[in-house]
Amino acid sequence: MSSSPAGEAAVHRAFARREAAAQHLADTAGQVAAVCRDMAARFRRGGKLIVFGNGGSAADASHLAVEFMHPVMVGKPALPAVALGNDSATLSGIGAREGFAGVFEHQLRAFADSEDIALGISPDGRCRNVHRGLAAARQLGLLTVVLSGGLTEEAPAADHLLVVPATDPLAVKEMHMTTYHMLWELVQVFLEQYGTEPLA
Amino acid sequence: MGDMPGGMRELYPFLYERQADADTVVAEVADAVREKAAEITALRRDVAHGCAPRIAACAEAMAERFAAGGRLFVFGNGGSSTDAQGLATVFLHPPAGFRVLPALSLTSDAAVVTALSNDVGFEAVFARQLAALGQPGDIAVGLSTSGGSANVRAALQVAAECGLLTVGMAGHHGGLLAELDALDHLFVIPSASVHRIQEAQTTVYHTLWELTQLRLRAARPACGDP
Repeated sequence: MSSSPAGEAAVHRAFARREAAAQHLADTAGQVAAVCRDMAARFRRGGKLIVFGNGGSAADASHLAVEFMHPVMVGKPALPAVALGNDSATLSGIGAREGFAGVFEHQLRAFADSEDIALGISPDGRCRNVHRGLAAARQLGLLTVVLSGGLTEEAPAADHLLVVPATDPLAVKEMHMTTYHMLWELVQVFLEQYGTEPLA
Repeated sequence: MGDMPGGMRELYPFLYERQADADTVVAEVADAVREKAAEITALRRDVAHGCAPRIAACAEAMAERFAAGGRLFVFGNGGSSTDAQGLATVFLHPPAGFRVLPALSLTSDAAVVTALSNDVGFEAVFARQLAALGQPGDIAVGLSTSGGSANVRAALQVAAECGLLTVGMAGHHGGLLAELDALDHLFVIPSASVHRIQEAQTTVYHTLWELTQLRLRAARPACGDP
């Protein structure tokens, strides 16, 4: 197999484009740590994690849920997590009858408890159904977390807002993946530090 | 998935030396975030340095297949199954202005996955789908964090026998996929962290998508492209 020098240069450029977003994540490390602290507190209270997004972010929502449900590290506890994009019968049912903007809100209202965590993923912050899902979650008293990209002003309101300041949706998606891998791993640190029992 | 060495206590001994107060833990966790962000950047540099010519060559081969009417099939387990879906959807429903290309994730149909697992065995779950759906001009991409997934290996073997272009992604030292002589392209991410491997694999397949688009656009403007 041969490749052109132009192709190789394009590979190097594509990889280099990811570096600013990774640096931004490092620069906002304190925020990420605070999200982990608050998520761990919810798990200690018996809460579950509910994750949602569209397109590639729907796949990320499933990926994030499986991190908690079936940890890669042997001996880590399974923590309750569900992704709202997996049930095509429900998604298409709600979408067809009530409109696609309601697909996550409907499931949240039926399934969520006030001690849960709602985590919405939107690469540009503009997904209408993610906005509606988070608004419902806030009404219901859930901890709300957003992974978005682009402009902070576009993102839905939430307790924790982690925005990747990039417009390339694929670079944003990759940094979301790094972020949620960290959320899983570092939530464990808080749970191990303080135990899985509710704090007095 | 359970191939990560070491436990949390071994990774973060400083956190267990005392009952630290919440602010101290937050500060130490923030340090861990910065360290991991530096890790993924260093790993991406390693991968670009080691694999750039092969990523470019793989994208050219994929573009040739698509140009001739080939389709893409993608598969993996656990987190890699969702990455397979992410990979398929960026080809099938790309950002605005890019060319739509036929792609299917073999992990999405619960009826097929559970039927094959129940009746035949989990090792056959992707291979049987490829045997039914695949044609010689198509492309098969198998994702395995460790390289040790028997069903990914079996599917790539079947794909190679059927004449598909075969692409494997693995981590660590490549595992079973590194032993598969029939693979046309193999990308092994040199890391011991399942998470960093998945993140770097995502950059590899996003770059494959980007270069495939560039190549197809250079070759022939698609109907509807700006």
